[in-house]
Amino acid sequence: MAVITYSQAINQALVEEMERDDRVILYGEDVAIGIFGATGGLRERYGGDRVFNTPISEPLIVGSAVGAAMMGLRPVAELQFADFIFTAGDEVFLKAGMWRFMHGGAYTLPLVVRAPSGGAGFGPEHSACPEAYIMHSPGLLCAVPSTPADAKGLLKQAIRLDNPVIFFEHKSLYGTRGEVPDGEYVVPFGKAVVRREGDAVTIVAWQNMLRRVLAAADRLAADGIEAEVIDPRTLNPFDRETIIESVKKTGACVVVEEGYRTLGVGAEIAATLMEHAFPYLDKPMRRLAIPDVPIATARHFVDRIVPTEDEIYREVKALVG
Amino acid sequence: MTQLLRDAYRYAVLSRKFEDRIIHMGMAGEIPPTLHPGAGHEVCQTAALAALGPDDKVLYSHRGVAYMIARGTPLTAILADIANKEGGTNRGKGGVMHVVDVPHGVLGESGTLGGGLVVCAGVAMALKRFGKGQVVAHFFGDGGSNRGTFHESLNFSAVQRLPAIFFCENNGWAVSVPTSESTSVPDIASRAHGYGIPGVVVDGNDAFAVFDAMTTAVARARNGDGPTLIEAKVVRLAGHYIGDPQLYRPDRDLAAQKDPLPGFAEALIEAGILERADLETIDAEAQAEVERAVAVVAAAPLLDPALALQDLYA
Ligand SMILES: Cc1ncc(C[n+]2csc(CCOP(=O)(O)OP(=O)(O)O)c2C)c(N)n1
Repeated sequence: MAVITYSQAINQALVEEMERDDRVILYGEDVAIGIFGATGGLRERYGGDRVFNTPISEPLIVGSAVGAAMMGLRPVAELQFADFIFTAGDEVFLKAGMWRFMHGGAYTLPLVVRAPSGGAGFGPEHSACPEAYIMHSPGLLCAVPSTPADAKGLLKQAIRLDNPVIFFEHKSLYGTRGEVPDGEYVVPFGKAVVRREGDAVTIVAWQNMLRRVLAAADRLAADGIEAEVIDPRTLNPFDRETIIESVKKTGACVVVEEGYRTLGVGAEIAATLMEHAFPYLDKPMRRLAIPDVPIATARHFVDRIVPTEDEIYREVKALVG
Repeated sequence: MTQLLRDAYRYAVLSRKFEDRIIHMGMAGEIPPTLHPGAGHEVCQTAALAALGPDDKVLYSHRGVAYMIARGTPLTAILADIANKEGGTNRGKGGVMHVVDVPHGVLGESGTLGGGLVVCAGVAMALKRFGKGQVVAHFFGDGGSNRGTFHESLNFSAVQRLPAIFFCENNGWAVSVPTSESTSVPDIASRAHGYGIPGVVVDGNDAFAVFDAMTTAVARARNGDGPTLIEAKVVRLAGHYIGDPQLYRPDRDLAAQKDPLPGFAEALIEAGILERADLETIDAEAQAEVERAVAVVAAAPLLDPALALQDLYA
């Protein structure tokens, strides 16, 4: 197994899928250089017909992916920041999400929109993790890879799926390293993974929050609290079963997310547990999330509102300690 | 060309008679009154579409059903989509506005005005990549041309020299708002200069002129020379929607006198493409086809509501 970065993993996924299938094309702003390193070198390798820079035209980037996909190409379009999903709201939610449905299933829309999310210091319009909006909206699959291995396997799978996928790449993870399986593999959508086993509490988290949760879980273990940590990997499809089964064992659940608290992913998980695991819950459900304010630019403000390792440790300890 | 324009006339007549029937049934409450009548636009639409080949693609506007008729979609399918019956194209999901017929190159319509422009650019991108000389034509209104997507699509298509024809049907109105209140230039086609592509203004009531302009644009696109913006000045004979009293519209009586359909017939006769006697035959055949479709759809069952949950994911 090779150890590579998250951004190298994405690059490998793109290379492998472009080698396999010449219907795969890649475009977006600055993709020829790759602002976050993920797409560098691909234009040289595959030529300007398959890999090209676009103007700063987000509705065009996503809308054209819908048009190209309906004709049988498999476009991988990049929004330079995930926040620009709202700049291309019509194209993401109404076109990618609805055109197949609205036209009676007349065509498939095999497209991927890559969207770098999260991070600190980028300011309110360049820092969001808007996955809850995607999870809420019909017709859009949603991937939130946390490790290089998953980034590669999920992206390869996303490109092969016949449905639109919004693929969130967390900006704080691009430089992180991890083992990636040798040879050909994909990671299926809709299968959560248990990152750490335990019986005291179930913690659900992904991407940058998962890293903090795992660090906090080590400290909790030192205090004798064994947390079970679940990484959902995709939010649509969403593996409710793995979370429900875990909560049946632990009797407590904490969701840690980098999105806004109200109607976030945690709210959906809480409702799911009320519907399917109510008798098993010994403790009130807890959500750690951004307290419904935009993400300010000052880094120490970000630490005040995005759940930190310390906060996770304290909250979980207070709940089950 | 002779045959193409004769067919265009036939489709325009068929569309007019079909829509008259749809409007009548809509007003009577027999079917949902969801049509945006195309009366006044059909000559322009069918003449423009006559310049496309069978392998070309179309994204259309909400203004009427002549587009699909001209591409070969059966009347029964269109009416079934309006009536939410079995036998339609979009299985209750999109109604008349989203008739889709992929084998005939009819790819659909954007419910959000201007939303189709960016999709069109993507279709053109794919066609260019396939390298078979196919083109895509996108029809939209003067109102839709004021969306930002117009700028993004024309700029990108020009940069990439995409095989697209952007066809604006300017009827001077967007519901109740005249273009003089909404649009900074008298000719939308003049905006093409900002993108370095040809912008052509054409009299949309003159089928021959529309066909010529479209033929030139299609040849340019097929040749790999990039997109063209065509603006056809047309007249909206009816209201925006079925039953629109148009109280906002001082020109409606005048507009009603400018029906381009009889003029198209005269021009065809003058050019020796039709005999006067053909007109009656075309009318009678169109009326019979409409009545056949009405009968078929009347007998078709309403769509199963279970379909409301289907067709989202592949
Ligand atoms: C983005 C968007 N805004 C508003 C509407 C509502 N709407 C539907 S048709 C229409 C007027 C369209 O005018 P135009 O594009 O000139 O076409 P016409 O109806 O005149 O054929 C409006 C405002 C819409 N469907 N989409």
